[in-house]
Amino acid sequence: MSPQNVEQARWFVDEVLPHEANLRSWLRARFPAIEDVDDMVQEAFTRLLKAHDSGPIANPRAFLFVTTRNMALNQLRHMRYERPPDANEVDPLSIADEVNSPLESMAKEEELQQLILAIQALPNRCRQVMTLRKIYGLSQKEVASRLGISVHTVEAQGSIGLRKCIEYFRDHGYLAHFKT
Amino acid sequence: MNTSSSSNFPEQPEIEKAAANWTLRLDRGLTAEEQDKYSQWLSEDPRHGEAIALCRWGWDEFDRLAGLQTTQHAKIDPDLLAPGNRFVRKSPILKFCFAVVPLAAAFAFMAVAFWPEHAEKQSVFASKSAIELIARLEQKTLADGSVIELNRGAIAEVEYSPEARRVRLIHGEANFTVAKDPDRPFIVNVAGVDVCAVGTQFNVRLKDDAVDVIVSEGIVRLATSKILNSASDVLEEPLLEVGHRAVVKLGGTPKVNRSILSPSDMDRELGWQPRMLDFDDTPMSEIVLEFNRRNEVQLKLGDSSLADIRFSNYIWSDNLEGFVRLMESNFGMRAEWHGSSEIVLRDAGKNQAR
Repeated sequence: MSPQNVEQARWFVDEVLPHEANLRSWLRARFPAIEDVDDMVQEAFTRLLKAHDSGPIANPRAFLFVTTRNMALNQLRHMRYERPPDANEVDPLSIADEVNSPLESMAKEEELQQLILAIQALPNRCRQVMTLRKIYGLSQKEVASRLGISVHTVEAQGSIGLRKCIEYFRDHGYLAHFKT
Repeated sequence: MNTSSSSNFPEQPEIEKAAANWTLRLDRGLTAEEQDKYSQWLSEDPRHGEAIALCRWGWDEFDRLAGLQTTQHAKIDPDLLAPGNRFVRKSPILKFCFAVVPLAAAFAFMAVAFWPEHAEKQSVFASKSAIELIARLEQKTLADGSVIELNRGAIAEVEYSPEARRVRLIHGEANFTVAKDPDRPFIVNVAGVDVCAVGTQFNVRLKDDAVDVIVSEGIVRLATSKILNSASDVLEEPLLEVGHRAVVKLGGTPKVNRSILSPSDMDRELGWQPRMLDFDDTPMSEIVLEFNRRNEVQLKLGDSSLADIRFSNYIWSDNLEGFVRLMESNFGMRAEWHGSSEIVLRDAGKNQAR
């Protein structure tokens, strides 16, 4: 319990909670088959807090929506429900973006820069896959159709990209953030 | 002699490659068949678990960049981060985004300020949710009612089948409260060590070179599987009872160190777990004692009149700041920080009157 935690609490109330209502209604509308909306929203908050605790986040709102969407798709897969027919068209980040999500202070920008540089250093295909999956939050399937490549290629390129990024982390001291 | 054993194992880059492949498959969801293969792969070598923890962490780190583009209202662009594109070269554009946003946030704030009703609703709602969410470690209730609490940074995977309830602790520390079910053992696999329970509570921590198990309720059986034991026999350990601790050294022949913890040692070892405090018409003075017993930061009452105020509430023991905020926002108190280790609560009305 430190002043830093208090700061985290304030950040949460000021920058994250205002998106809760939006997130809920979006989740209900987009994935009517999901029953435990509360659990899922709670889980998304928990993940966001964890991430915020250990470093900067470019856009808390986008982080919430992308995380929740990943969880929802994952759960649908386990439930063997049909996907909503338009699920492939969804861009969770396109909704209600009139007010920009507040970004972290410039002081922490360095860590985000490292992540960006790691992606930039990748071969073209890897870079595109990582960009679509991580920055736009598309699923692997959606990445495949957008790039006109097979899902298998997406998986393979993503894997190569991830390994190269970890290599990049290793060379640039970013691995210090691992091992909590 | 030590060097010869390593030649049986694939090299580190190979392991990392496999781990990256699994991370991508996990990201899209495993098929039933892959699930089995994945379990198999993980149990083959303790280093597989470490590699997967690293890869999954690395993969998740990039979620920090989610929505990087939304400030620009850009369409989906796979080449957003192409070398030579706008984010490159010390990223003047990115800096620009960071500079612009506070302005947008200021406008948003003004908008809220003009609708005070709306703003008030928001804040009450906010403090209520904050109580539930802030500073809590991750807790999961499984389908059978068993509960896993993950300490910061811990990663666990759950696999339930009709025969057994299996959980794999891949990284970090977790506490398990197991629902009773004699027909379906609850097994925690950690770096090749099986911790089996029927209905009980225990704590497992994966360290760099050892697995540390502490039993706080019931009985637990420990089994180290053949991966660790070159003699290829499954080594079964005597039962662990309440207050027992077993530390299994990893690498080479498994060595189990057993010890018995005193109740105060147990409290200290398991102190990371937050507890749900249930206050039912409890005076403030008692609530303060309860928090102070469990937190480093100490709470004090600056006005004696506060001591007798009664509350009914439930709150996590590590959520001191959530409690303090609730007192401030809904119960007319004011909090003063004295350094970083003490918070004094006062009656806000009284101080205003003074």
